Amino acid sequence: MQETLVTPTLSVLSRSSITMQDRSSTAGQASSTGPQPSRPSVIPPPSKSKGWKSGANVRRMRRIIAEDPEWSLAIVPLLTELCIQHIVENFQNNPILKQLLPEHQQKVLNHLSPDLPLTVTANLIDDENYWRRCCMQRWPVCHVARHGGSWKRLFFERHLENLIKHFIPSTTDPAVILDLLPFCRNYVRRLRVDQFLPPVQLPLQPWNGELSDSGSEAEMEQPTGDHYQLRDLVAGLSHLEELDLVYGVKDCGMNFEWNLFLFTYQDCHSLAATIKACHTLKTFRLTRSKVDDDKARILIRSLLDHPALEELDLSHNLIGDRGARAAAKLLSHSHLRVLTLANNQVRAPGAQSLAHALAHNTNLISLNLRLNCIEDEGGQALAHALQTNKCLTTLHLGGNELSEPTATLLSQVLTVNTTLTSINLSCNHIGLDGGKQLLEGMSDNKTLLEFDLRLSDVAQESEYLIGQALCANREAARQRALNPSHFMSPITAKGPENPVG
Amino acid sequence: MNPPGSLGVLEEKEEEDLSTPILGPSIYSDNPQERIQARRLRIAARLEARRREALGEYLDGKKESEEDQSKSSKQKEESRLKLAKLLLCGTELVTNIQVATDIREIHRRVEEEEIKRQRLEKLENEVKTSQDKFDEITAKWEEGRQKRIPQDLWDVLSTQQVHCAALIEDKNKLISELQQELKTKDDQYVKDLKKQSDDICLLLERMEEQVKNVMKTFRQELSYIEKAFEIERQELLTSNKKKWERALQAHNAKELEYLMNRIKKVEDYEKQLNKQRIWDWEEYNMIKIKLEQDVQILEQQLQQMKATYQLNQEKLEYNFQVLKKRDEESTVIKSQQKRKINRLHDTLNNLRSKYAKQIKQFQEENQSLTSDYKRLVMQFKELQKAMRHFALIDEKQFREIWLMNEEEAKELISRAFDVDRIIHTHHLGLPWTVPDFWFLRNVGPISQQQQKSATQILEEVLMQTEEEETEEAASEAESYLDLPKQISAKTTRKILMLLCDESGFLIESKLLSLLLPLEKNECYLLKLDAIFSALGIESEDDLYKLVNFFLRYRVYHSPSSQEQTSLMSALEPGEKRDLEEQKEESLGEGEAEEKEHPPSPMLIHPNDVLKILEAFVMGLKKPRDSRAPVKLKHVRDDSKDSEYWEALTTVISDTTQNLWDALYTALEKYHLILTQRATLLIENNSLEQQNTELQMLLQQYLDSKINSELQVPPTQVFRVPTT
Repeated sequence: MQETLVTPTLSVLSRSSITMQDRSSTAGQASSTGPQPSRPSVIPPPSKSKGWKSGANVRRMRRIIAEDPEWSLAIVPLLTELCIQHIVENFQNNPILKQLLPEHQQKVLNHLSPDLPLTVTANLIDDENYWRRCCMQRWPVCHVARHGGSWKRLFFERHLENLIKHFIPSTTDPAVILDLLPFCRNYVRRLRVDQFLPPVQLPLQPWNGELSDSGSEAEMEQPTGDHYQLRDLVAGLSHLEELDLVYGVKDCGMNFEWNLFLFTYQDCHSLAATIKACHTLKTFRLTRSKVDDDKARILIRSLLDHPALEELDLSHNLIGDRGARAAAKLLSHSHLRVLTLANNQVRAPGAQSLAHALAHNTNLISLNLRLNCIEDEGGQALAHALQTNKCLTTLHLGGNELSEPTATLLSQVLTVNTTLTSINLSCNHIGLDGGKQLLEGMSDNKTLLEFDLRLSDVAQESEYLIGQALCANREAARQRALNPSHFMSPITAKGPENPVG
Repeated sequence: MNPPGSLGVLEEKEEEDLSTPILGPSIYSDNPQERIQARRLRIAARLEARRREALGEYLDGKKESEEDQSKSSKQKEESRLKLAKLLLCGTELVTNIQVATDIREIHRRVEEEEIKRQRLEKLENEVKTSQDKFDEITAKWEEGRQKRIPQDLWDVLSTQQVHCAALIEDKNKLISELQQELKTKDDQYVKDLKKQSDDICLLLERMEEQVKNVMKTFRQELSYIEKAFEIERQELLTSNKKKWERALQAHNAKELEYLMNRIKKVEDYEKQLNKQRIWDWEEYNMIKIKLEQDVQILEQQLQQMKATYQLNQEKLEYNFQVLKKRDEESTVIKSQQKRKINRLHDTLNNLRSKYAKQIKQFQEENQSLTSDYKRLVMQFKELQKAMRHFALIDEKQFREIWLMNEEEAKELISRAFDVDRIIHTHHLGLPWTVPDFWFLRNVGPISQQQQKSATQILEEVLMQTEEEETEEAASEAESYLDLPKQISAKTTRKILMLLCDESGFLIESKLLSLLLPLEKNECYLLKLDAIFSALGIESEDDLYKLVNFFLRYRVYHSPSSQEQTSLMSALEPGEKRDLEEQKEESLGEGEAEEKEHPPSPMLIHPNDVLKILEAFVMGLKKPRDSRAPVKLKHVRDDSKDSEYWEALTTVISDTTQNLWDALYTALEKYHLILTQRATLLIENNSLEQQNTELQMLLQQYLDSKINSELQVPPTQVFRVPTT
């Protein structure tokens, strides 16, 4: 070797030790960085050159170049990069992030695998890009906008929802969900669970009882039909604002059984206690869960005087007049802004009690009673209430068997009320005269922006004219929004229609 | 129309008919729905336009005003409206499905309710009829039990069986019916599911279509807007270009004009310049010549200046050298001075310290000296006191010595006179008269009117008056008090008495108590002494002044009251003034004599005394101040002393001395003879004495016993001679 020629003074022992070092280091490198074959040959010079005089460097370099034609200084990675790589590789065991410089942090985050356990990453990494990668890897479609624009929040919320969805009571360990709690408690603001699996016995029995009728089966399964209890989880989530639950099974297909869709009293009580204890809750939705009057009353009683609740959605349930009365009571005992009771069994008395509560309410902005059966009595009561109410902006009374008397009253409301912006009366039997009356009412109204009268037996002409008035109102509203200082004439909106024709 | 036709489709169609009035550009689209919509929209728009025309003309104005607005904004507005409408219609189209399902659901519910009701009714009827049948059957059982005949029983049982079978048949029929219904329901459910999926498909389709449509129209509108902007920009560009060109032309024309003007001006200026140049050239030449001359002169001056400069330089160099040397010297001197200053500073410091020391020393000295001074003053005072004392003593001694000498001298003189008289009478046998000389009468040292203190005078006066009682007549003239002529001692005394009685308040009460036991005169004396000390009367003069004052006062003030007072005094022997009265009485003899003198103290009323005193004291105060220091020294005038003593020596005149000399010589001679005789006499006497003595001695020897005892008595020896 040339070494001996250049520095004959060096002892053989030292040389051998150096070479030994080289070998060990190269071996280590090889084991750690498999995909880079050039590494082993690259590493030696820096470690070796330490022992040599500066004059020997040139020749050594030349030698190496001769040995390894691929080698050049440019290939040598920076120590920082090596360190970063190492950190990335060992992140699971030794997460180092906060101590690094911002740029290095960014590099590390870009190289981290999305499969890392949440115990490591949850509270350490705030980088949106990393969580975006995690989300994209797990779910093909992600609506970040629905989760406040935060990928991390999206990840945790969906992760948690997923766990709850596939939780089978008394077979799955509840710790699976509760263990996650310390990591996700700061990020989860919304919980949308559209599936609660029933206990594990159920899948067995439906096979047996397939022949028998559904009613008896439901009775049999009722005592064991309790679902996952949200209480512990919700108590742990300190920022939870929205709870969207469906007590049912998705994609059951032809395996349909009534007892798959059971919302038991036990469930109801525990859910009531849960939402009562959750003081940050703003939105509560419980849909398609066969909530009847009693259960609705239990739930609503627990929601009375809730400090934060703003929206309550109990649509697609079996709520009748008593439940509606409870909801009316809730209206006067909370800050509820949106109440949705669509597709229930509310009839005239329930609507009357709601109207009574609505008459002097100052919080409620939106009321949805779609697909109920409040009929003219309820409709008239609501119309009367709207004459005094100064807050409600959206009212949905579609599919409620309303007819002309309600329309006459509503037309009076339209002339008086200045807060309503949207009314839906579709799928009713308003009739021709009712349509005319509504048109009369509309002619004096300047605030209403939407008025749905489809399929309600109204004459086409009146509907069209109402549509024109709405257009004018919309234009005026737009002008108002554009320059709130002075009101523009609403007629400009109609101008452009002429050239088109 | 592609939707899965069923209940909702019709309504949907209706909906669409109503709710799709726009989408103008899509008449030629592939979608037939859209085409229909477009057509309808066109019709609606026409209708609308007609209606508007009917409504009025103000819209045209509006339009015009809009035309005024830029095309782009117009296009924007148009597009916005179009798009808004499109969106609205799209959403309506999409929600139509929901609405349709809703209404379907409602219908279903209504139907369901109806069917339910019918079913319930049917069931109830069934229950009723079956119950009836059942009752009938149960009733029949009773009947059957009564049957005894097996044939009957069998009949009954068979009929029962038939009945039961019929009942069961009914029930089974009902069940099968219901099951049938259930099956149809199941079918319905499946159908509904299918329909729902179809609906969802339709919904999705519509949504997609909507999205596509909206995107397309948005793009289109965007392109329209862009085009409008483009056109507007083009127009703007062209108009601006035109403006620009016009402006440029105008600018060019103006430029040309300016250029012409400029050329003209340039020519003018050139001419002027040429003129100016020529003129300048001449001037320049003149100035050049002048300046050259100047230059020559200046050069000369420069040379001169250079010479002077050199001279000055040399001088200055020399001066510089000198100054350098001086500077050196001065530095040396400076250093010396500095050293000196240092030294002087040292000395100054020393001196300062010394000065401080000396100040201290002097202060101490001063203190000691002041103490010394004080001591000396004290000593001096003591000395003065002693001096005064000694002066007094000296005076006394002087007086005594004087008196002694005088006495001696007088004795001598008297001896001399005696001797003279003896000589005259005895020896010469002449009569001798005593020579009378003034100085012989003099006793004590000669002095000019010696000042006496008031008290002395008082004493004298009082004593005098006392004496006067005894030796009345003689004393009158004899008093050697030099009282003013008018004032007799008596008046003085009376005045004083009066004063003493009247101004008793001036005397201290203690003194009065002390005075009680004393003699009257002494009492007066002491009282008056006290009064005078209080009034400030010290000397003789003051006293006389006082007396004079009193008298004068009387003269001026009381010619009239004189009688009164005299009367008063005469009439009232006075209880208060009994002392005075007594005095007056005692002096009764003198009174008559005094009455001769006009000034009589009696005439002064005692009440006036105080007024007079007050006035006097006021008057006295003034001169008193200046008098005080004068009084201190009384240098004795000794001019007359020698005269006096000379006079004393010349008591015996020269003639007598001559006489005495002659007498002396004669007497000497006589004396001599007498002495001779005396000596002789003495010799004789001594001899006689010796003789006697010897005789006596002899006798003694002879008479002594020893003689007898002796064998040979001397007596015998001697007796022989004596005998």
